[in-house]
Amino acid sequence: MNHDTLGHALAAQVAAYADGSLPESDAWPLERHLESCGACAASVSEAVRASGTAPRLADVRAAVLAEVTGRAAGTAAAPVPYAAPRATATPAPPLSRLARLLWAVGPAVRGAWLLGVLSAAVGAAGLWYGGGVPGARALLLAVAPVVPVAGVALSYGAHADPLHEITASTPSGGLRLALVRTVAVLAVSIPLLTGTGLLLPASGAPAAAAWLLPALALSLATLALASFTGCRTAGAVTGGGWLLAVTAPVPLTSGENGPATRLAEQLARCLDGPGTQGAWATAAALSAVVLTLRRTAYDRPLRR
Amino acid sequence: MPIRTTALRVKHRRTLVLDSLDLDLGTGVHGLLGPNGAGKTSLIRVLATVAEPDGGRVEILGHDVGDHRGRTEIRRRLGYLPQEFGYYPGFTVREFVAYVAWLKEVPADAVPAAVERAVVRVGLADRIDAKVRTLSGGMVRRVGIAQALVNEPGVLLLDEPTAGLDPEQRVEFRELLRELGTTATVVVSTHLVEDVAAACTEVTLLDEGRVAHRGTPASLTALGAASDGPGDHPIERGYTAALRAHRATVREGALR
Repeated sequence: MNHDTLGHALAAQVAAYADGSLPESDAWPLERHLESCGACAASVSEAVRASGTAPRLADVRAAVLAEVTGRAAGTAAAPVPYAAPRATATPAPPLSRLARLLWAVGPAVRGAWLLGVLSAAVGAAGLWYGGGVPGARALLLAVAPVVPVAGVALSYGAHADPLHEITASTPSGGLRLALVRTVAVLAVSIPLLTGTGLLLPASGAPAAAAWLLPALALSLATLALASFTGCRTAGAVTGGGWLLAVTAPVPLTSGENGPATRLAEQLARCLDGPGTQGAWATAAALSAVVLTLRRTAYDRPLRR
Repeated sequence: MPIRTTALRVKHRRTLVLDSLDLDLGTGVHGLLGPNGAGKTSLIRVLATVAEPDGGRVEILGHDVGDHRGRTEIRRRLGYLPQEFGYYPGFTVREFVAYVAWLKEVPADAVPAAVERAVVRVGLADRIDAKVRTLSGGMVRRVGIAQALVNEPGVLLLDEPTAGLDPEQRVEFRELLRELGTTATVVVSTHLVEDVAAACTEVTLLDEGRVAHRGTPASLTALGAASDGPGDHPIERGYTAALRAHRATVREGALR
């Protein structure tokens, strides 16, 4: 087949092809070229339209259409659905609900955060069983509420999720995904850290489950704040705020008690008693309200 | 019209990247051409509902992107291949595409079949259970195209889909584009003018955030045939001729 210098079919060849006078040996490579070249295909169809073939083609088309529509009207056949799934020899393994949930959990629970949770639990247990340190539970309770906050901050957003540009264009990629990942983070950290806390002696520290409402409140506050600032800043503010509130007074208070006892006392002020727990519940509810009001902010990528 | 923008304005770090853009895109394959920085990616990100417009109106599939409910409706019927995207290293092709299907709210019982269909369409059926991280760059891009297709989208937005594909894969991909364009509105941004010539029903040429030329690939080829501008290929000459003509008009407008 003759090409011009740019690999395109010559006008003379196109004209010969259109009126059927091009030899078969030349027509075959031309057809191959037409399959992938829109410009040449367009010039062929122009040439055909200009030739005497056009009225004959129109007649054939009309006859075919009349036949097809006539039949469809006669038998009232339903149109074939476009997306009918192909039957394949090997059916896809069913994706269980649990598997999908685990995927939805996203980056944090599989990554460094999980190592962090495990080392917090193992470290606190080691302090008591290995070193006999009496303040192990107090330390665990001081750190525990920050764990889910860190998990939330590391689960959602452009900095944490390699898929973020794609998830941002999906209907579930906004607040729903953020909440699913928060639930996953809580589902891992609550049993692990509460269970570890139960294994440790109280030595004046609050009950092993006392951190649950603060953890919930801080996680929801992080999500609410993230709608303004992005997840990382929000996590730093809420997690850092908690750590400061619990540990800052410890070196300042004087007395003959050791730092472990003073930490336990400060934790008791932050966690013990129905009034304090009620305040944490109220904080969680308020955060939930703010988050509901700000839910549309999650429709677009959050600030970094 | 599946896609309609009216007086669309988009800023990126205080610079205007799209300026009073009016576009109507119907069913078919629309090529989005233009030099680097013309606003192609910005336009695709706004159409993908990822970036927020700074002014004007964007309607997709009859819904306003500014409206929360409308946006959710649009996203269920949207396919988007970003220019760059990551993946979870442990995922197989099947898991990756199924995960996006879950995010797009494809009904759970339809997901396995939809995933297989999308992966077959991009020609990766034999690698469906391979880990994504073991695939070549061109294959990863095809996984990206598969995730965009998994919900049978009414609007499909592809940012540089042929980057990293070898010539044979590009020819196959154009075939897929033509097939998709019969039922969906497909917007393809590309630097490869010959992809546009082969696969697109319409071309939009952007320059500095404005439409420099709109028409069929044949009209761009005709423009190139009539000009003696640079380019090795009639449609390439058409591309440069249209750009120059547009820039001349803009300059004249500025002088007046």
